[in-house]
Amino acid sequence: MRRTDLFGLGFMAPALILTIMFFLAPVVMTGVYSFTNMSTATGISGGAYLISPATIRSLTEQGFQGDAIERLSSESYVVDEAGLEAAEAAGYTPRFIAEIRSTLLGDTFTGRRDFERALKDLSHRPRSIRDLKKATELFQKSVLNVRFETEADFQSALSSLNLNLSPAEAVFLTETAYTGWIWTSANYDRAVNLPSTYRATANSAIYVTFTLAFNVGFGLFLAITTFYLPSGQAAFFRTIWFLPRILPPVLYVLMWKWLTWDTGFLSTLLSHFGVPPHNLMKHTATHAWVVVVLINGFVGASMGMILFSSAIRSIPQSMLHASEVDGANRWQQVRYIILPQLRWPILFTTAYQTLSLLTSFEYILLSTNGGPGSATNVWALYAFKIALNNYGGNLEYGYGAALAMVLVIIGIIASLFYLRLFNFKSMITSPRIEQ
Amino acid sequence: MQCTPRGVAHGGMGLVFDQDRQVQMTILLSKLRRSTAAIALAAATVGFAGNALAKDMTITVWAGGSNDADSYRIEAIEMAADILKREYAIMGEELNITVEGKRDFGGWADFKQAYTLAAEAGTAPDIVVTSHLDIAPWSQAGLIVPIEDYVDLDAWPLNNIYANLMEITSYNGQVFGIPQDAESRPFFFWKDTMRAIGYTDEEIDALPAKIATGEYTLDNVLADARKAVEMEIVEQGYGFYPRVSNGPDYAQFYQSFGGELMDKETGKLVLDKTAMTEFYQFFVDAVEAGVTRKNHLGTDWDQWYSEVATGKAATWHGGTWHYARYTGKEGLEDFFGKVQFSLIPAGNENGRANTITHPLAYLLTAQDDEETIEIAAQLVSIASEPRINTLHAVKSAHLAIAKEQSNIGLYANDRWLTEATDVLLSEANAQPNHLKYGQFAELMFKGLETAWTGVNTPEQAVAEVEAEMRATLGDDLIVR
Repeated sequence: MRRTDLFGLGFMAPALILTIMFFLAPVVMTGVYSFTNMSTATGISGGAYLISPATIRSLTEQGFQGDAIERLSSESYVVDEAGLEAAEAAGYTPRFIAEIRSTLLGDTFTGRRDFERALKDLSHRPRSIRDLKKATELFQKSVLNVRFETEADFQSALSSLNLNLSPAEAVFLTETAYTGWIWTSANYDRAVNLPSTYRATANSAIYVTFTLAFNVGFGLFLAITTFYLPSGQAAFFRTIWFLPRILPPVLYVLMWKWLTWDTGFLSTLLSHFGVPPHNLMKHTATHAWVVVVLINGFVGASMGMILFSSAIRSIPQSMLHASEVDGANRWQQVRYIILPQLRWPILFTTAYQTLSLLTSFEYILLSTNGGPGSATNVWALYAFKIALNNYGGNLEYGYGAALAMVLVIIGIIASLFYLRLFNFKSMITSPRIEQ
Repeated sequence: MQCTPRGVAHGGMGLVFDQDRQVQMTILLSKLRRSTAAIALAAATVGFAGNALAKDMTITVWAGGSNDADSYRIEAIEMAADILKREYAIMGEELNITVEGKRDFGGWADFKQAYTLAAEAGTAPDIVVTSHLDIAPWSQAGLIVPIEDYVDLDAWPLNNIYANLMEITSYNGQVFGIPQDAESRPFFFWKDTMRAIGYTDEEIDALPAKIATGEYTLDNVLADARKAVEMEIVEQGYGFYPRVSNGPDYAQFYQSFGGELMDKETGKLVLDKTAMTEFYQFFVDAVEAGVTRKNHLGTDWDQWYSEVATGKAATWHGGTWHYARYTGKEGLEDFFGKVQFSLIPAGNENGRANTITHPLAYLLTAQDDEETIEIAAQLVSIASEPRINTLHAVKSAHLAIAKEQSNIGLYANDRWLTEATDVLLSEANAQPNHLKYGQFAELMFKGLETAWTGVNTPEQAVAEVEAEMRATLGDDLIVR
């Protein structure tokens, strides 16, 4: 590699590192998570091995019976010399150990609380209740409700129970007892088979299509109309239309709520004309969509407006002057001069906003929150709620990641399509506007 | 500490008995060595004891779903820290506990997200106050430890806590949390409206009993609500004014139509399709009758509270803790003169009048530092003292956790708490602690939402819920 190449790489390094950290790594991690059943209950960092009453029920359903299930599901504490030695090694006082030996040696307890109560009756018991309870573990001969952090510990505890399981049963037992996440492709099967996935797909399609059409159409309208205004007025109007973008989203949506709620401005105004108050944001699915498209549209349109305005300004003035000499009216100027020259900015805005709308849900979350009745629950919001945010708090990271992954794939396909449509190479070689 | 005098005495005895000079020298050396050892040991002991004597600890507490009225969820731990500090001082140890509390989370969803992610990252608080429903998934993931391992359940004050509440905070036969409060979710009637549609005072007083026996059902609620709307006593959509967001409340209506949340035999969650359809149908009927708004879900909570506390709604359902809000911030002065409360009426002959209690619990985060967990557990135990818990109960209008609280003046003199305990708590059941109940409840509500807003018919909604539940809950579901 030449030194100049290294030099270039050095310059690029910070950007590369950031790209990898904040763009590539999350996508790769999402891909990895999407093939797991990771959730709040499995945890992220790995699991343990636990035989609980729930495990026992699954085992029974799978045909485990007789001695094996009996031993797994019972609790047993036996006061024996081995336990007393362990207690000694653990640092319990000789007086306490001697008292256990003299009063409880040989006793068996079938419940931990019974054994604890027996220990509590001793006069030389440890002062700390935690130490007393820990002592019971040294005499434990059962595995019920014991959390084993490693498989080796779990297997050695099982072997002391003499369960006589077939190899297949032993594997099933270990799998059932494992609390952590496992690799699976079930998330994708589940996504394909659920009605809510199709609803979210349809919602995303509606959202992207209508918002995009509004963004581009209205952005274009603003750019052209302000172009023909005196520059001072034009700047004033552009600034006004730019406000939705610079307002904090929470505040912006709050103003929409005040406008559209049944106790809000519009309802109050209309009530003077005998119209009963409606929550215009959530009255029906159509109401919700109109509001969602407008909320997002006004924000998106401001960006289109800026891009289109600057593109119109870069059209050589001589062309417009010449057209006026030829007697063209405003509409003809727009139709035959301005719009053809805006082809690329329009395509760029369309491409860029398709991708950002596919993954954006913040304004929907703040306004309709996917309602009424999931009517505006777009794919990205659906994935967010499954993976990270719902009332029950049972977060399904794995399934949510699979849903997010679908968006990533759609995004990549759309990008490739747009790059091809743009003929990207030719765009970066020479500016079309000057050809 | 005992080492020092013993070592010195032993050396001294050596001096008295040995005559021979050489032997004396040897003994002297030996004595010196022993003394040095003794001094070193003494120094070490003092040093160690010094450490043990002055111990500084920070205990962090996060409380979900808590507003100003619930401040004692954290303040009780602060009070407990003070008491524990005094107890240690009497035993000759200096323990300084700083309690750091946090309760400003956006809502339950944000809170649970914050806690689970923090716990996975190892930065979770030592004590967390949350729904008992979190015990199943959080314990399975190893985020929390059974509090039973650190406290004496047979000793005061824990042995005074209602056994059924302790049952609710147990999972897999282990007590994971200590109930922080109890509540229940009653049905409310605005008395003036009921009078205006023809009820006498005696009839209004008799309502709770008629509801409890199943004589007055949800059908009657619809009829009365419709009357109130038709007579223009309340506005359209204000005849029956339900909770505006997902919550345990909706499981009550499922139970009203005979739905069962978990099968006790198998420990599996139950989708009773008939009960679910009838439950959805009730809300659809309410919308069609014009007594409930089609777009009601998602109404702003502040707006909702102010409307129900000012008689804008004929009937509604809420929580026992709403009393604090109605009579506090919303300024409802004569609660008992204006509001009648009861169980949630039965929906039909298959169901029963019922109410759900949804206690919050103090849980302990799993961590390597056993000593911190133990101190945190002791604080929770002290904070559960009847007198301390009563401060929370009365301030936030929650029900007592312990039997003795009814003997504490502050609690006993609170008419709301004593009446609510009488009428509601004996009939209350809790939602099941099950690994997948969170998903079950989400799907049940999602189905309700689609039916309520007219996206689906109740039948379609239930079919969709069934498909989703089968895929999500798998073997943990029984469909009836």
